[in-house]
Amino acid sequence: MAMLRNIKTKPKLDMNPMVDMAFLLVAFFMMTTTFRLELPEEVLIPPSSAEVKLPERNLATITVTKTGTVFFGIDNKFDRRELLSRVGREFGVTFDESQLNTYSLMATAGVPVEKMGEFLDAKSNRVHFDQAGIPITEDSQLFYWIRNARAVNPNLRFAINADGETKYPVIHEVFETLRELGVTRFNLVTEKTESDAAKS
Amino acid sequence: MLPSLDEIDVDKIHGRDDDARKRLKREVDVDMNPMVDLAFLLLTFFMLATTFSKPQAMEILVPAKAKDTAEIKETPVKESKTMSLVLKENEIVWYRGITEPETFEIAYQESEILKILAEANANTTDLVVLIKPLPSNVYADLVLVLDVLSYSGVERYSLIEPSEFDLEMEE
Repeated sequence: MAMLRNIKTKPKLDMNPMVDMAFLLVAFFMMTTTFRLELPEEVLIPPSSAEVKLPERNLATITVTKTGTVFFGIDNKFDRRELLSRVGREFGVTFDESQLNTYSLMATAGVPVEKMGEFLDAKSNRVHFDQAGIPITEDSQLFYWIRNARAVNPNLRFAINADGETKYPVIHEVFETLRELGVTRFNLVTEKTESDAAKS
Repeated sequence: MLPSLDEIDVDKIHGRDDDARKRLKREVDVDMNPMVDLAFLLLTFFMLATTFSKPQAMEILVPAKAKDTAEIKETPVKESKTMSLVLKENEIVWYRGITEPETFEIAYQESEILKILAEANANTTDLVVLIKPLPSNVYADLVLVLDVLSYSGVERYSLIEPSEFDLEMEE
């Protein structure tokens, strides 16, 4: 009798521990994740031996790609809304509620203010939208972005996330813009490498 | 009055009734596969979307821009205490002093830059290093030089515009 019963019962796998573990990991990743910046072009940051950690809050990032396209973004969702409406006001452009909401979810954007509305309305095509970059030379719009970002959040710190192959004049313009606004301390984002000379 | 022993159904009290047990078992058996699928799907998504390597940053300080020219307080620095690094496209030209200096060229190599900096720092007190990137220079080279400076022991260095003398080297 006993033997017969053994054959009949299907093998059962207790999945509870696996589910527990899977959800634990999901929870962990949800908490720690910071989403990758969505950029149309990859930015390869230069290496250095610097070991300063970037602040996680109150951070404004100025991204510069190889070709000299400039992107700007700040970290807080609510601040972003405020920032966009302020910058819009300065340039005489008004944004509606849905555009503000869309912008508040974007980590960074590199579109001239005049084209911002079009960019925010381009729902699924946004990835392919030709982001021309924030103008930095004549009547620099970056200046207004930075100034308003500081007005929204006075504790803002600035990080320059530039591609190693960016030509210096572009970087120079960014430095000068920051200087002009009295931002004299900022961070250059680099990738940590072990350097032989630094160790010795 | 206590019931007599014959009237007590022991199986029933302990829930050992066969039918009841079967019913109970059927209710508890939840199919967890969809949940597991979902959990792993989310797990995969977050694992791919996350950036783990937290980028490090280098801090740089630039002098504030004066509101009007009268406000600029220039700190006089002895020519002999200066060392200029002109960052060209493929090499660094360095020289001491400002008037009619003797120029030297080195490659963008950590050890070489460190060597000249350490040497200059050792035989000059209050050395001031002037970094002058030319327009053809790329950002990574500037970062390299700033990085070497940060651990070379040189206390004063600044990023300045190249002079005419430096710009002539561009060709």
